[in-house]
Amino acid sequence: MSMYPQQQQAFSQAPFPHAYPPHQSSYALPSSPVYPIDPVSFRCDYTARLAGLTDNSRLIIQGLSMYAHDFSRWGDVVTQCIEAHIRRVPPEIKLPAFYLVDALSKNVFDPYAGLFASIVAPLFLETYQQVDQQTRGKMEEMLLTWRTGAPNGRELFGVGPQVAIERGIWPSNSGQGSSHSTNAFVSKSQVLSELEFALRQKERNLQSNPFDTVAQNHISILSQLRKLVEAGVSQDELAQILAQLRALVRPTPAPPPAFAPTKYPSALPYPPSFTYHQTVVPTSASLVHPQYSQAHAPTYANSAQQFQASETPRLAVSNPVVASTAPPAITNISGLFEALVKAGVVSATSTPTGAGATAQVQDENRTLPPSESSVEDARAYRTAILAEDVKFSSAEISRHRPNIVHYLYDRMAVQCKQCGLRFSETTQGKKTMQEHLDMHFRQNRKASQSVGRGHSRSWFLGVEDWIHDLPYSSDDKDAGLSSRLSNAKTIATAESAKRDAELRARFVVVPPGDEAKHITCPICKEVFKSEFNEDDEEWIWKNALKIDDKIYHATCHAEALVNSGSLTARLRQGFAGSRSGTPDAPSSRATPPRSGKAESPSPNSKLGIKRKVEVDNSDGQYDGSPPLKKVILASA
Amino acid sequence: MSTSNHSSPNIKEWVLDPETEYRFELDPGNSLAIKVLKGHAEVFGAELADNKYYLFGHECKAAVFTWQGCTIEVTGTPSTEYVSDETPMYAYANVHLALEKMRVRALSSYRGSPLPPGPDAEVDPEPPRVLVLGPENSGKTSVCKILTNYAVRVGQGWTPMYVNTDPSEGGWTVPGSISAVPITAPIGSASPASPLGSAATSAPTILSSKALLPLVYWYGHPEIKRNPLLMDRLIRNMGENVIERQDLNPEGRASGIIVDTPSSFASSTSSNFTDHRQTLIRACVDAFRINVILIVGHEKLNVEMQRTYGSRMTVVKIPKSGGVVELDLQYRQRVHAQQLHTYMYGQVIPPPRRPSASAVGDPDLDGHLAPSSSVIPFGELSFLRIGEKSMAPSSALPIGAARTVNEMQPIPLDPASPGSGLLNAIVALLALPVHLEDTERYDEEVLDLQVSGFLAMFVSIISLFFAVLIEIKN
Repeated sequence: MSMYPQQQQAFSQAPFPHAYPPHQSSYALPSSPVYPIDPVSFRCDYTARLAGLTDNSRLIIQGLSMYAHDFSRWGDVVTQCIEAHIRRVPPEIKLPAFYLVDALSKNVFDPYAGLFASIVAPLFLETYQQVDQQTRGKMEEMLLTWRTGAPNGRELFGVGPQVAIERGIWPSNSGQGSSHSTNAFVSKSQVLSELEFALRQKERNLQSNPFDTVAQNHISILSQLRKLVEAGVSQDELAQILAQLRALVRPTPAPPPAFAPTKYPSALPYPPSFTYHQTVVPTSASLVHPQYSQAHAPTYANSAQQFQASETPRLAVSNPVVASTAPPAITNISGLFEALVKAGVVSATSTPTGAGATAQVQDENRTLPPSESSVEDARAYRTAILAEDVKFSSAEISRHRPNIVHYLYDRMAVQCKQCGLRFSETTQGKKTMQEHLDMHFRQNRKASQSVGRGHSRSWFLGVEDWIHDLPYSSDDKDAGLSSRLSNAKTIATAESAKRDAELRARFVVVPPGDEAKHITCPICKEVFKSEFNEDDEEWIWKNALKIDDKIYHATCHAEALVNSGSLTARLRQGFAGSRSGTPDAPSSRATPPRSGKAESPSPNSKLGIKRKVEVDNSDGQYDGSPPLKKVILASA
Repeated sequence: MSTSNHSSPNIKEWVLDPETEYRFELDPGNSLAIKVLKGHAEVFGAELADNKYYLFGHECKAAVFTWQGCTIEVTGTPSTEYVSDETPMYAYANVHLALEKMRVRALSSYRGSPLPPGPDAEVDPEPPRVLVLGPENSGKTSVCKILTNYAVRVGQGWTPMYVNTDPSEGGWTVPGSISAVPITAPIGSASPASPLGSAATSAPTILSSKALLPLVYWYGHPEIKRNPLLMDRLIRNMGENVIERQDLNPEGRASGIIVDTPSSFASSTSSNFTDHRQTLIRACVDAFRINVILIVGHEKLNVEMQRTYGSRMTVVKIPKSGGVVELDLQYRQRVHAQQLHTYMYGQVIPPPRRPSASAVGDPDLDGHLAPSSSVIPFGELSFLRIGEKSMAPSSALPIGAARTVNEMQPIPLDPASPGSGLLNAIVALLALPVHLEDTERYDEEVLDLQVSGFLAMFVSIISLFFAVLIEIKN
């Protein structure tokens, strides 16, 4: 792996100085230690490697693609190998090979795009006939990316093959690509698949940038369009939709070839444009995301970058990053929508949440400066309320007719669809609503996860907690609860650690003459080790406890006591095992305070020990264990 | 108003004119699903979302009110249903605005921002702390609910404190307790068993009004007059804590307090309770620093309150809704039983059957609760009864004789004795006292402890063990 840069160097110093360059297994393909030196052995080698391409493994495709890149002078061999491979393998594993074709053509472009151009159309169509519906969809998606796959933003394999394939897939579609004619016949399935493509592209865009209202807008329009098309529209409209759609998806002019290499990895031109790379393969070395390289091979990123650096001018960087093309896209898409409305395809009234509404929202967003509006809103509300002329008297309140509807309904136009709570149209209101919806989402998710589990009523809060439990708004309720809960857990852990330490500090003085005896703890059956206590100048058993003339480990005994089923223990276990999200905040007070702390025996006071032991004997408990929770029940 | 029948007999569509309400009453075992098709509607101040089924059950008696007019679809067969155009909603809205004014003023003053000039600008602004009084079946709880819901709906972040001092009304818990809870989201009215939403469970909830965190004190009887002294003490304890909590948080403080009261505060049949009644109202006024008294439809009480408190605070009579239903004793008992059941097992309202396909409304995910049962030796719980189980009034005692047992005295109970009365009882599990130092312990401290949860007891004397149904998360 780390050899890769060297290999790059070697490569650029063509023609091939070493027969065996020192880079075995440089491609994440550890299979072939022997480096091929002639086309024949290379063919064998590449075919063998191709045979490993049986699923959508990103690593393999990447390896194959880089391998092919290094031997691009034998590009024809690679092409033939791949073609033969595709024709040979069963339909279900043809798709990965096409991804390899795609990756090679896009990332290495020269010479592979040209080489594949001659064979891609029949190969694609043949495969298309054989594969199942799902794979067809993926192939269609890939095909759509080919329209603009070349570094200059043109058809990856040239107009000819592209048109040939599209015509083969979507029959009777004569026009295509940038030169399509609108009056040609457009099939519904084609429009649908292109719509789907655009929609997914936007959705991915939105995922990476959730606050992109433009993209949201687009998505809503596109999904509307899809419904429309599914419902069936006329031929003219189909053509119109298709034209607009292509304009929308069409990239901005391809980035200039002088693309700064250092910027390349961060620019990541791909994410929005490939529908399959998430699940399948990286289509180029530039897709070696930072996460990926960290996870697998830190040095790989390095080499990959160099790889890119050398290849940048030829890389297919032209796929549209829609966010950057947002302004033209807006005009396109809203223009499209308006055109459709005018044409009567989409009725303006049947789209309650459609473009009109969202567009308005956007307008408001623009006009309202975000920070001031919330304050303004609250202030306006206060002024309005104070201006209400309500005399607080029995007679007056029956007579006066306030504009209550304004305060309860009109002032707050946005409503939560789930619980009916309203929010104002302002930025602040929207933010609150967003948080509110998040809360619903969390609750719903929790609900779906916990179906079938037994739930029960929670304990009420203790009075101290209740007093200091500041009212949280609905959105951070969960946060508040969990923090309180985790706090409680921390306290519980600390308590138990402390208790444990105290237990271990207990000791029993070894009776004279018993030093050599092996005395075992009746609970864990382990032998006590006697130690010499320097302070008292006596032999002692550490972590020991004498009850009824038997010596126990203090910790064992405490555990046994707990397990013996005291109410306290069980109740506390109830606390400790609480599920998160239960609004129960056992505070330090809820766990029984340990009254005996102060009396814990100091190592140099034998008296204290004796007294303790006596106490223990008297009530069968020792103060290291939690005292019985005073449960007081009142039944009045 | 008009109705139109669907093809199916138990689905009806009602078109409500503005400012009218659709009232319904349900028979036991029936349930109702209401969906707003058009316009906006609210149930006791809580707005209904569009196109969403709302279920009502367990003999619910409620009303869907609309300010702007709406169309609702009602599935199910209520025993009574009608539309009324006479509602006191304008009066309640006015009260709401007046309270809102107080809140705004109070918040401005807490924040130190200047108050806009007004006729009463010089008065020291106080948040509204409202005591709602009224006779039986006057709709006190509904008024409180509407005022609370309106306050949380205006989007100003108010969290009014709802205090329920009516032990016969279970509120968020079981009957026999009094409780207080800050409200953050509108309270629904699906069933009389949880008229004010319900206390939090370990189950996820859709509505925050179903996961309330109340402060609860245990009184132990549905009737105030059983032990007015205890009630007095509990109210004062509650008030102290409520005020302390609100002092820590200006927004919450500005939102104010709304205190719902038992009907026996308003009227009493026996003359010797009148004194107690006055004492208890006084206790509420002092404890919650009441500055507004609302009297729901009771002229005499209004005059009485005006005379007593009129000089110090606002006393306003508000009209009573014509829709309130006279509730009989059996109904209340059924509701109490249902409330106990709801506390332990949760509540599920079966959606009304539709002749056609699927059930309406979402199944309530948080509906089913599974209480844990536990066997506990007698020695591990100490039972205390406050006062005698059955106490003759002092007037019935021989002249000169004094009670041997004070009403406020906690008496330890021996659960093994036949007269303990613990079998099948509900007992409140009290929280630990804050101070465990012996010097601060006192005999009657149990009266001041709040409730952690409730236990249902199944006592088995033979084995000297209880089987206890504890509401505990595990």
